[in-house]
Amino acid sequence: MLQIPVKILNKHGLHTRPATVFVTKASQYKAEIFVHYNGIRINAKSILGLLILAVEPGAEIVIEADGEDEQQAIQELRALAENKFNLE
Amino acid sequence: MTMGPVHYFERDKFQVPQDYIRPDEVDEHLQRYENAIRHALKELEQIRDLLLDHLDEDHAKIIDAQLMALNDSEVKKEVTGIVKKELKNVSWAYFDVMTKYETVLEKTLHSYLQERYIDLKDVKKRILHHLSAKGDYTLPQFKEPAIYVSTRITPSELIHINQQNVLGVITQIGGYDSHAGILARSFQIPYLSNIADIRQFIGHENVILDVDGESAIIDASEEEIRGYREKARIFAGSRRRSMKSLGESKTKDGIPIQILLNTSFVSEVTAIDPSEQQGIGLYRTEFLCIEKNCIPDEDEQFVAYTRVVRMMNNLPVTFRTFDFGRDKLVEMLDLDMFHKDDFFQDFGGIRFCLENPELLRTQLKALLRASAYGPIQIMFPMVFSLEEVLKSKEILRQVAEKLDEEDIVYDHHIPIGIMIETEEVLGDLENVANEVDFFSVGTNDLSLFLLGTSRETSFARNDYHPLLYGAIEKAVRTARQREIGISVCGEMASDPLALLGLLAVGIRVVSINPSAYQKVFEMIQKIDLNAVEPLAEEIREAESAFQVYQVLKKFHTENLRDGG
Repeated sequence: MLQIPVKILNKHGLHTRPATVFVTKASQYKAEIFVHYNGIRINAKSILGLLILAVEPGAEIVIEADGEDEQQAIQELRALAENKFNLE
Repeated sequence: MTMGPVHYFERDKFQVPQDYIRPDEVDEHLQRYENAIRHALKELEQIRDLLLDHLDEDHAKIIDAQLMALNDSEVKKEVTGIVKKELKNVSWAYFDVMTKYETVLEKTLHSYLQERYIDLKDVKKRILHHLSAKGDYTLPQFKEPAIYVSTRITPSELIHINQQNVLGVITQIGGYDSHAGILARSFQIPYLSNIADIRQFIGHENVILDVDGESAIIDASEEEIRGYREKARIFAGSRRRSMKSLGESKTKDGIPIQILLNTSFVSEVTAIDPSEQQGIGLYRTEFLCIEKNCIPDEDEQFVAYTRVVRMMNNLPVTFRTFDFGRDKLVEMLDLDMFHKDDFFQDFGGIRFCLENPELLRTQLKALLRASAYGPIQIMFPMVFSLEEVLKSKEILRQVAEKLDEEDIVYDHHIPIGIMIETEEVLGDLENVANEVDFFSVGTNDLSLFLLGTSRETSFARNDYHPLLYGAIEKAVRTARQREIGISVCGEMASDPLALLGLLAVGIRVVSINPSAYQKVFEMIQKIDLNAVEPLAEEIREAESAFQVYQVLKKFHTENLRDGG
């Protein structure tokens, strides 16, 4: 199980557009992926779950990956977030 | 006009049965859930393909978010948990879980104004629809004939309640020229829209819906009820009378006025007796798509068009090519979120088809093939420029060439026309006239463009505006100079007063709703065209719609009131 803190840089935080990109990517891994924010731990393969988190711009989340390809998942998801989910 | 009890339909409150199940029923419910998700996914994927084919990737991507929400793993987990542990039936479990997400996400999803949001209501509705038998949870169910009241109504809902003996429809939004409005008229269901407070109807037993008077009476008094019954009796009587002897439509001083019909469905056409009619002046082909919730292929279209042509028994049928615009495409796809999308604003009519030429090509091919079975005309909607006309004709020419190569029979001399609905085309009318065989003035949309009103307000008052008459007069002049045909096919022509004005400015052919045929026919027989023509001057000099209305009303009262 790996965990890594990551900042959300998108202008409106983790709203619909970046969230769908995130979920699409996270769903590709065999590992279970979670996002921690504000004391809540949510399944990152669920779009509605991620949206409920309502992560604000500039806020920090923790990405957790647990499974076979957890290493790859953590790295790629972090890179995605750092790149503003290729949206901005 | 109609009277009856109210059936109030809460659009987003689904009537989900709240009963518990036995442990041995759990698997069956979970299976139904999987099936429902699968069906809903397939539906949305078809919509996505449609958007990708006919619009663009951005719009198709909106559906991706919907698909994701439909298939959300957390929702599935929660619903499955509730069914297994609490033994609630799957629809109830699903409804509760989704409502919870909806509530929590309410603020989040709406706070980013520029961003498209996920339409959770649509997701919920879709799944519940598939979980229920024949849409019991999501479609209105009438226990007795009643007047349907709700915020709005979709074409498929209207088709559904038409089969349940609905007496009338009252909605908050919709509009006379909306799909619901057109459909309601073709089903002969009295329809009143733009009523701000619809909740006031709840629970009332005797509501009188008077469409002509544009009003609804709650708690009608004894006198009002008697008045209604009397009117209904007279109406039924007069219908029986005029159905028999119609004959030629001429003014009192012998000028023939051609009265054609506006229709949208093959089923409407079956109700027409060709021996009592003069032809179809407007056949709205896009309703074929609305009925089927998709764009039918060439053969499906060919079958529909040929049926219409054959049923009209050698009377001319004018087909208008697909007139898609925001409201129409939106209703076809039946997705709430698109109601708010400005993208569709300017994108209607022939422009849409020219941007998707395959659509036009397929339709024209089907129409040309149908022309072998009877006289047809083809007209292009929402034309802005000469260029669009030339492009459309070029596509037509290519299609015709292909048919020649394939040795398929069709009419080589089909009259081609355009709808005059935009201010732009009015500015280039002479040049356009050189390229077409006829004009048809679409006053509904033309008045929108000229006067800048929104689609969902009542049209009646706008039909009298001097600017509108001025535009029509110009079109008549140009048509006469170039010796091409001209008609009016908007709702205006069904209004006796507005029709007086049309005759005054030179219109001699109108296309109207079948339900207005009788009153228009009778009025024309009483008119002395010689006396009407001077009204044109007064209309020209009027400064407002109200003034024109007064002029026409005065003439009507003095000359056409009783008998005559």
